[in-house]
Amino acid sequence: MATRIGNWLDERFGWRRVWEVIFLRKVPKVNWLYTLGSATLFVGINQMVTGILLTIYYVPSPDQAYDSVQYITTQVPAGWLIRGLHHWGASAMIVLSVLHMLRVIFYGAYKYPREMTWITGIISGIIVIGFGFTGYLLPWDQKAFWATTVGTRIAEVTPIIGPWILRIMRGGEELTAVTLARFFGVHVWFLPATLAVLILIHLYLVVRIGISAVPKRGE
Amino acid sequence: MGEDKEINRRNFMSLATWAIGALIGAGLGIPAIAYIVGPALQRLEAQEWIRLGSAAKVELGTPTLFKTKIERKTGWIVNEDEITVYVLTEDGRDFVAMSNICTHLGCRIRWVADSGQFFCPCHNGVFDKDGGIVSGPVPRPLDRFELKVEDGQLYILGG
Amino acid sequence: MDEKDKQAYLERYEQEKKRGVPFFPDLIFKDAIVSLAIFFILLALAYFIGAPLEERADPADTTYTPRPEWYFLFLFQLLKYFPGQLEVIGVFVIPTVVLILLIALPFIDRHPRRHYRHRLGVAIVTSVGVIAVVGLTVLSIREAPPPAETAQGDQTAALYLENCAPCHGSAITVSPDTNLHALIAQGKHEDMPAWNADLTTDEIDSLVGFILSPGGSQLFTDNCGECHQAPELVAGDPIELKRALDLGPNYPTHTESGVPVWAEVLKPEERTALLNFLVAPDGQRLFAINCAPCHGQSVAISGGEPELRTIISQGGRHLEMPPWRDRLSTLELETLAKYVVDPTSVPEGDQLFGQYCSACHGERIPRADDFTQAQEIIASGGAHEVMPVWGEILTSEQLDALVGYTISAAQGLPVALGQQLYAQNCITCHGEFGEGGPNPARSGDIIPPISSAEYLNTRDDTTLRAILAQGQPNFGMSPFGAAYGGPLDDDEIDAIVLYLRSWEANPPVDLPPEVEVSALQIGGQEIYGNVCSQCHGEQGEGLIGPSLRASDFQTENTDQDIFDSINMGHPATMMIGWGEILTSEQIRQLVNYIRQFAEPESEVPGEIPSFANDVLPIFEAQCNLCHGTLGGWDGTSYDTVMNTGDHAPVVIPGDPEGSLLGQKLLGTHTEGTIMPPSGKMSEDLIAIILEWIAAGALDN
Repeated sequence: MATRIGNWLDERFGWRRVWEVIFLRKVPKVNWLYTLGSATLFVGINQMVTGILLTIYYVPSPDQAYDSVQYITTQVPAGWLIRGLHHWGASAMIVLSVLHMLRVIFYGAYKYPREMTWITGIISGIIVIGFGFTGYLLPWDQKAFWATTVGTRIAEVTPIIGPWILRIMRGGEELTAVTLARFFGVHVWFLPATLAVLILIHLYLVVRIGISAVPKRGE
Repeated sequence: MGEDKEINRRNFMSLATWAIGALIGAGLGIPAIAYIVGPALQRLEAQEWIRLGSAAKVELGTPTLFKTKIERKTGWIVNEDEITVYVLTEDGRDFVAMSNICTHLGCRIRWVADSGQFFCPCHNGVFDKDGGIVSGPVPRPLDRFELKVEDGQLYILGG
Repeated sequence: MDEKDKQAYLERYEQEKKRGVPFFPDLIFKDAIVSLAIFFILLALAYFIGAPLEERADPADTTYTPRPEWYFLFLFQLLKYFPGQLEVIGVFVIPTVVLILLIALPFIDRHPRRHYRHRLGVAIVTSVGVIAVVGLTVLSIREAPPPAETAQGDQTAALYLENCAPCHGSAITVSPDTNLHALIAQGKHEDMPAWNADLTTDEIDSLVGFILSPGGSQLFTDNCGECHQAPELVAGDPIELKRALDLGPNYPTHTESGVPVWAEVLKPEERTALLNFLVAPDGQRLFAINCAPCHGQSVAISGGEPELRTIISQGGRHLEMPPWRDRLSTLELETLAKYVVDPTSVPEGDQLFGQYCSACHGERIPRADDFTQAQEIIASGGAHEVMPVWGEILTSEQLDALVGYTISAAQGLPVALGQQLYAQNCITCHGEFGEGGPNPARSGDIIPPISSAEYLNTRDDTTLRAILAQGQPNFGMSPFGAAYGGPLDDDEIDAIVLYLRSWEANPPVDLPPEVEVSALQIGGQEIYGNVCSQCHGEQGEGLIGPSLRASDFQTENTDQDIFDSINMGHPATMMIGWGEILTSEQIRQLVNYIRQFAEPESEVPGEIPSFANDVLPIFEAQCNLCHGTLGGWDGTSYDTVMNTGDHAPVVIPGDPEGSLLGQKLLGTHTEGTIMPPSGKMSEDLIAIILEWIAAGALDN
């Protein structure tokens, strides 16, 4: 019965073919370092899931942001866990992205024919840093507020357009409700959308071209 | 032989991978459900004992005004409500807590020491020291709170 | 890398794939294991460390040392090496260059070789980069300032800052006998609101403590703030507070909280300051909390301040109560004991108590619960009292305040003060009982009674205070408030208001009895005394102005001549025309008064309408068919005429035009219909009533 339903669905979706292409393709034998990419992906999914859960209670307003975060942490069942996973996942994301990048650099995996995979990866890395920067402000605690104040001030040093960048980032001269609202918007809509596109391209390229083999001496 | 072993190994890995996936899924999913459903299961706050202040502050035989703030919480929004209560004791042991809200139209009554009565400035309602009706349009005596004294502190039941 | 190299690579990769494994499950299995491990690590971090949440963001807090998240630390540290103008290098140039290098990496490193041995340049640069980032991060962490102590702010200081500092500045000097709590709670001057509208009782208590001992507030925050909120403890039981401070970790509820031995941690003066904060040296409050439960609202003291201080300091030790069984009969003992348990049960106990007990116990009774116990105590005497030895408990500031308050409280309530002030300032015009009388400052005016129930019930304290402070310029009452140039400060005005209010329950007079004695004569006399006598002498003997009792003055001038002189004045002399100030009636009174100098026996012609003979019959005939039977104003007797009506009083003595009665008769009223409804009554009748009102609306 299950097979019949599966067959019926496959006639419509054609997923067995997809499964074969993506998962049953042959890849060179590689070592454990090659798990860094998928580990990053895993943490990214973790961030997505916990992030979505956090928005259920979080309110991006200076009046309520702190209280809602506190509420999540102390009142909601497993709220501490969801927030903890998201918080530490952010750090893990950075670490794993960097390690993943270092593996690629040392194995020369960015070379032909994987230049575009590399470039989408680097841009994704920048976006991950953007996640870290924007997400940091959202709890609206002292550390968030002042680190962001300083962080945006640093951007101001950029020649010529610096003050302008500062104003765009803060949505005005000061760090205010406007800043919090736009950081939130960027953190939950803008960056995830961009990252999703980039990662899809990145993964498409990985599947299409295949993962690089471990280079041997002389190669 | 080697082929069989290889197939067993692959089967095991496949199974283990699905198992790990399920484990992580549950590890995230179960808390997520609790997280989403949780607040719906929380009970409404019942009445609780609200601390007014030290019982020693009540002046003997004179209704003493106690004002305290209680926090009513809905989610993370805290509404601060003010509770104002006149506490009266004749002997320092038995206390009576009376609301300072006129039973007529809800104005705040005040104690007029000279006349020894509560006076409502809105429509000249007058209550005696124990909150009983003296004159004016008031429909019933002043509301009372259940009161207890613990460790020299006054508590009223409210919320 | 040319086409040949590319082709070679692709072929080599195909072979690798052939020798390779399927992505699922071989690789995915490894990925799954690593992911699971990472998931467990994240779970552990979330469980054991959790996501930190600091204090709520405070944009006004300039003391906070901001630090970015750890993965930005290296950049943060990097900036330290590029001070001033060079900052742009650290912030902009280096990150931009690194980013461009990373993106361009496949195009810079175009060599077909992939093993790092053949790409030492890239390997070394990358390694240096990694080492630099790690090194900078480590450096940054090591250089990090120790995490700022989450110093709990001094809440009371904040409260003060928010509510008091805007007007009072950083500190308030308070005179020792101020009832600070009462003052804050009830407000005082116009600009000082009654704070009990906004602050809780506890908050006011802690503010008092702060004002009297600001240092103590800080000490509290530093030493007790971790466990206690200031408002919980302030104005608590000084005995317990002192005990907690003396016993330190041995204090019952402190045994497990790890508090230090306060005597070692705090200097004696610091402990004093702390106690002064917690139990503010506010005499009224100290008395209300610590003494009133036994002593009532005030104690009768016969001795002076030093004696009182000794008694309070020594507490129960001073009590040398004699064994009364030696001196009193069993019956007397029983009566006293009964009286002490329940004063209402034995009226005769009052006298006994006053005779034997009140010298020490004051008017209020140290209430006993139990008759047998009371009897036993009275009979045996001795130091049975539970009065604490306050000298060992209270700080000297607190003792000072308590002694000061007790003495001032014993000296009498503000009502007494108000009475005294009333006598000094108000009695001249308003009479001893506020019955009023002719207005010496304004012609034709009779000051209405201010002690009547109508007057007091229709004016609240604020109005009374305002009248006292600002005066009634239109009625010739000068301002009495210090703020308006008068002699009385706010407290004194309050005291007078309090005294006026004391009439409310039991008005001393419904009507001014004195005024019944012809107001005219008094009127003329007073006007003369106030105005004319300054020039013409008390008895008309003449000073600056000519003598008025000289026989030639009296004989040569007709009444009309004198009237004209007063009315018109004498040009080119200091005698002004009083006609604009005094009414003709008053001038006539003056003329009569002046005539008295020559003929003291002269009588004042009784030309004022009498209530009983002239006015009441008009009411009877014209009004009382309705009034008096249908409710509203009642014209059947003097009392009801004066005091009834929906808009009572309808008669304002001395002011016919201002009285509703007059208005209704004349048709100048603003509400309702003219009276009688059938039409204006005859001019003569109206004139009688108006004249009667003008003359003070007497019950004559």
